[in-house]
Amino acid sequence: MTNQVIALGVIFLFVVGATVVGMVPGIKKKMTLEEWAVGGRSFGRLLNWFILAGEIYTAFAFLGGSGWAYARGGPTFYILGYCSIAYVVGYYVLPAMAPIGRRHGLLTQPDLVEHLYASRGLGILTACVGVAFLLPYLQLQLTGLGLIIETCSYGIITRVPAMLMAFTMVAAFVYLSGLKGVAATAVIKDIVMILAVAFFGIYLPIHFFGSVGGMFQALDAAKPGFLTVPGGTKNLDASWMMSTLVLTSLGFYMWPHLTGNSFSAKSPDVLRHNAVYLPLYQICMLFPMLVGFTALLVIVPALKTPDMAFMSLVRQVLPGWALGLVGGAGALACMIPAADLLLTTSMLFTRNIVCRALGKDLAAQSATFARVVVLALTTMALLLAIFLPNMLVNLLLTGYSGVTQFFPMIVLGLFWKSSTKIASFSGLIVGEFLVFYLMLHKLDPLAIGGLHFNAGFVALVVNMAVFLVVSMATRTPASMERKTRAIEGPGPSPAASTTLGAR
Amino acid sequence: MKLAKVVLTIFPFFWTIGMVPFANRVWPMVLGLPFLAFWLVCSIPVSLGCIWGLYQIDLKHDRDAR
Repeated sequence: MTNQVIALGVIFLFVVGATVVGMVPGIKKKMTLEEWAVGGRSFGRLLNWFILAGEIYTAFAFLGGSGWAYARGGPTFYILGYCSIAYVVGYYVLPAMAPIGRRHGLLTQPDLVEHLYASRGLGILTACVGVAFLLPYLQLQLTGLGLIIETCSYGIITRVPAMLMAFTMVAAFVYLSGLKGVAATAVIKDIVMILAVAFFGIYLPIHFFGSVGGMFQALDAAKPGFLTVPGGTKNLDASWMMSTLVLTSLGFYMWPHLTGNSFSAKSPDVLRHNAVYLPLYQICMLFPMLVGFTALLVIVPALKTPDMAFMSLVRQVLPGWALGLVGGAGALACMIPAADLLLTTSMLFTRNIVCRALGKDLAAQSATFARVVVLALTTMALLLAIFLPNMLVNLLLTGYSGVTQFFPMIVLGLFWKSSTKIASFSGLIVGEFLVFYLMLHKLDPLAIGGLHFNAGFVALVVNMAVFLVVSMATRTPASMERKTRAIEGPGPSPAASTTLGAR
Repeated sequence: MKLAKVVLTIFPFFWTIGMVPFANRVWPMVLGLPFLAFWLVCSIPVSLGCIWGLYQIDLKHDRDAR
């Protein structure tokens, strides 16, 4: 058997295996919308850990982490730090969100915003912004997957058929099993992924340089300064790293799909307990970087696409089965987060945009409707990935900066009784406008007095200031009392609960 | 109790973000990693320890309340 056939065989095994596992929960029983979207709020510690932890290990961590190390050096190390502090934020935010979600039958992030501020318009706006940033994220997973399979098959299977096959499978198990399918496959993906990256991250430097330390010493001798900030870049310096760490740690739990996932927890204690052990997962972020640095020293001539550093090095050094293993793990790292993104995007679109904008209660039909939208969104993301692979890049770059603008509205909304609806509208609009303005005018990072700040961080600071000032100006005793009820109050009366349409 | 929670919450941020300008160096390499990478890897046990501490305080608080 040739290398291609073995590599493809191994990948195929992973992809089909994961799909079958993902379909099982949906085949076993018929699901209501709540079971489909948030797993019936039944997830215990272990399942919840896997689904929350697994979300950080996407195509970006795998291909992007090694690619950044290869091309930029030191600035990459921020990836090692941000999740662990994000979990400190999560320790406070998630257990505050989940009980409100349970009491009021909330399923998505815009549901939460709409509930906190009693504003349908704000909910719709949040959903639109969310979809705008989720769709390119979904497309990125598709493109990453296509690249992986193309590399692993040594060009036999091209990108388009690869994406078509894999995403038909993803759509199938999301359609059938919803979040339970995602959780089941996330377990497989995480185990395979951890084993694969840890093995290659340690083996490849040892293969070439005797040890990980030997590789770094050789790199430091060849390129002095590359392993600190700003490393291989001009302006990604210490101030950039600090502002990026603030942005990404605060913004981490503002991704709409993570709100949905936290609603799946059985109790707030599950979320608290898991926040303790989530940082452990972060160590896996180091291994792709080790491969990226090794590739920089070993691969001649230099790569045109730095993101291919991991795959190229493995292909150069190891036989087909190893490439298949990496490819399979990488394919799952694209597919499983894509499944979760797909689920969330379809919920946001059907429940929070279409149903709320029409002002109709589609509770009864919306389980079917949301599932059909899954298929439509898959097709749309596929078409975008095939025909306009670069169109959404700008939007994607703004992803983290974009969703972090939810932070004042949601987090202060959960803890600060003076926060108001008008402040949320103004802060969010100002924040998103600044993000786009700075990104489109290539002002990221923004230089202020010799320091360089992440553009999203600048926008967040302004957004926060606007939010605080406007809240102080527009709060009334009535608004504060309503807010207290929204946070602490008991569940709605039966009549009210049908309008939110959870059960 | 309150003070302990504030310290445990702030410390991971101080370690991971506040110390970046001082940790920005290659040598000494620790465990084969450049110093900056080693420092940020250490934010994992630091955060884990601090969140564990917060969790213990909250658990005790919940028990006392009951």
